[in-house]
Amino acid sequence: MKTTIAALAGCLILTAVASAQGQSSGLARELEEIARVASVMVDGDACQRIMTRRALEFMDKKDPRDQWADSDNFDVNHEPYIAVKKTLMRLARLAPFPVDVNLWIPVEGMPGRVQVLIRNRHEMSQFWRWGALHQELFPPMKAVLEEGKRVTVTDKPGWISVLAPVYNSLGDVAGLVEVVTRESVDPKENVK
Amino acid sequence: MMLPAAAAQLEILSEFQRVDPYGAVLEADRRAGEAWAMPPAAGAARMRGARGGYVSFRLVAKLSRPGPYSLGISWSDPAIQTEVFREWFHHMEDERGYYPDALAPVETPYRSRMPEPDNRVPKQTAQSFWIDVWIPWGAKPGTYQGEARLEADGTVVSRPLELVVLAATVQKREVVTVDHNSYGSGWIGALYPEARQRGGESFQSSDELFGLIHAYHRIFYEHLGVFHQLGYGHGGKVGPEYAPELEGSGRNRRIRSWRLFDRHYGPLFDGSAFQGTRRGPKPIPFVYLPVNPEWPASFLWWGEPGLEAEFVNVLREMEQHFREKGWTRTVFEMFFNHKKRYKAFPWDGDETRFPEDLAYFKEYSRLLKKAIPPGSPVQFRFRTDASWMMERQWQELAGVIDFWVLWASMVSWYKEAPRMLAERGDIVWLYGGTPSVEENAAAVTFAPFLVWMWGATGYVRWLTVSPGEDPWFRFEGGDTVLAYPGERFGVTGPIASARLKVQRNAVQDLTLLESLGMGKEKDALRTEASRRFNGARLEEWWPPRPAIAESPAHELSNATIGDNAEPFHQLERGVSARSWLDVRRWILDLAAEVK
Repeated sequence: MKTTIAALAGCLILTAVASAQGQSSGLARELEEIARVASVMVDGDACQRIMTRRALEFMDKKDPRDQWADSDNFDVNHEPYIAVKKTLMRLARLAPFPVDVNLWIPVEGMPGRVQVLIRNRHEMSQFWRWGALHQELFPPMKAVLEEGKRVTVTDKPGWISVLAPVYNSLGDVAGLVEVVTRESVDPKENVK
Repeated sequence: MMLPAAAAQLEILSEFQRVDPYGAVLEADRRAGEAWAMPPAAGAARMRGARGGYVSFRLVAKLSRPGPYSLGISWSDPAIQTEVFREWFHHMEDERGYYPDALAPVETPYRSRMPEPDNRVPKQTAQSFWIDVWIPWGAKPGTYQGEARLEADGTVVSRPLELVVLAATVQKREVVTVDHNSYGSGWIGALYPEARQRGGESFQSSDELFGLIHAYHRIFYEHLGVFHQLGYGHGGKVGPEYAPELEGSGRNRRIRSWRLFDRHYGPLFDGSAFQGTRRGPKPIPFVYLPVNPEWPASFLWWGEPGLEAEFVNVLREMEQHFREKGWTRTVFEMFFNHKKRYKAFPWDGDETRFPEDLAYFKEYSRLLKKAIPPGSPVQFRFRTDASWMMERQWQELAGVIDFWVLWASMVSWYKEAPRMLAERGDIVWLYGGTPSVEENAAAVTFAPFLVWMWGATGYVRWLTVSPGEDPWFRFEGGDTVLAYPGERFGVTGPIASARLKVQRNAVQDLTLLESLGMGKEKDALRTEASRRFNGARLEEWWPPRPAIAESPAHELSNATIGDNAEPFHQLERGVSARSWLDVRRWILDLAAEVK
């Protein structure tokens, strides 16, 4: 009897794991598709016009008397920002489940640094540290920016992000999108 | 402090004198002793208070050696009500010593041991208690006798108490609104692991969660303040209990369900959450709406007809729901907290700095006016928290913003502002932080006093429920907390800090002063109060406008603002532990003349 129950429990666990894996790969496929479309639809030239020149100059300002000099001067050009954000929002609507499409771009004048430039309504990202103005370039992003590859990242349990390049009119990789979801969305996360 | 062997001592100290676990008054508070009429060892400790108010003081039990003790307090007349709180000695990180602040409610007689087992202070010899004496509105004026009693080591120490109840009463509407701000509800589960466990998987929509939220409202209400919870993030994500559930898109966007919203807010808007409190049931006076650039109208429709359709549909339904429920005594604040540095929207809703961003305020004001029927009894206001370009905003957003929360340091440059804004019907509050426990015990009175001196009506403490990772044994100082989680002490809800009670008593005193009906002489009152508070002359509360005030906002920095707000900061630094005692003594002298 014990053996039967153990076998049954084992089967149930395997089924649950398989189902979870199936769910993950299903989600990943949907994100992949959105990422592929994003690489075509997101305007890399517009992305590169978002930051104001002045804000860029302040990005690496270190003022011992003003610890918020960089973020207090963070500013964007509204027109390209809104245009790109709307595209990202539309792309996220392709999925029948909560997805964010975030825009990441390298920080001009700061080699090895990258910033999330546009986040979206579910406030999901596998990479963004809350409040960070810019961050060290993540290895999976490096492959996207340098080789134009599409990369799927599942480093954080329950999270799936697909990173895909965004091109400008010269054919250069201007940045990347992070198409992201969670298997279980936390309704409270980042409500702060 | 060394005590004679086998001695037990019971000391009575003012609310502005904190002691360490060895009975010594903290360095920061030593000046306060000068103003407190300490009784001789055998004499009665005398205190005064108005009806409808609290009188507070500290009892300090000192034992020369470890062992059990008990402490009690009683009054000759049961009309006088007493609450006793054991003060927790927070061990500061980086070995910065001990500071009492969290107040654990205890029953009397209180029986325990020295050292207090849970506080784990090595070789502790003194335990302090915060005493709140409540004088009901209906109490008979006159003198009441009481006794504080300590038993330890075979010794009984008794200290007589004498309370003079004045005929004057504290009016029920505070003259200053101190607001205690917070963000979301995610922190509640972290601070209340037992409640979270009881709530299980559905804690975030459980009675446990709503009970705790209401408990936070209650504790601040009971301490003559208000509580705000912002219900959305910088990217527009809304916590489900902060907004009605929506459905549809564009012209079809509608409210699908009020279920969680009404469970959360219903008892707050009809006042029933405050049943059983001393101040009685009363609707909360202010609340944030969940409105943000992504709710109820998607930012996807910015600049398109869909934005107006979604916004107006939903806000109209909200107004109707609130009106039908009779929720007309609360101010519903449309407030944008997002900042572009958090990378979700292209404009700053909070502390706006760039002139291009003002267009968004004008558009949302237009939408709000379109949504709310003229003459609605439901109170909607458009609030903004302003700093960098506040003067320009007052001018350019006249008729758009009608609720201003202004950075205190900067508004010191603009003497006419509070009056000018109030005269056009706007609400004017200030904002800032909270003094840590390492500042003197009266430092927390500066904010309400400032509001009163400047003719504003409120003060937002930007974060007041975040105690840090380990407030009990590795405390960071408490500049983001005024109410601590109570589970450690068997309380399912927050417990007050000593600073919260000091602040309450200061608001109570200012309200009493206003209750005396001396409004016509306000400048004379301010002159005298200021002289006693920090020795400043009335004109010093409004330093000359600095040249930098003419600069465009983007040329300012925190450093230049700080430099040019130095006269204001000097006012703050002029507060000592005895500052409020001197103000209170004068107010009570004035109140004593009421027959």
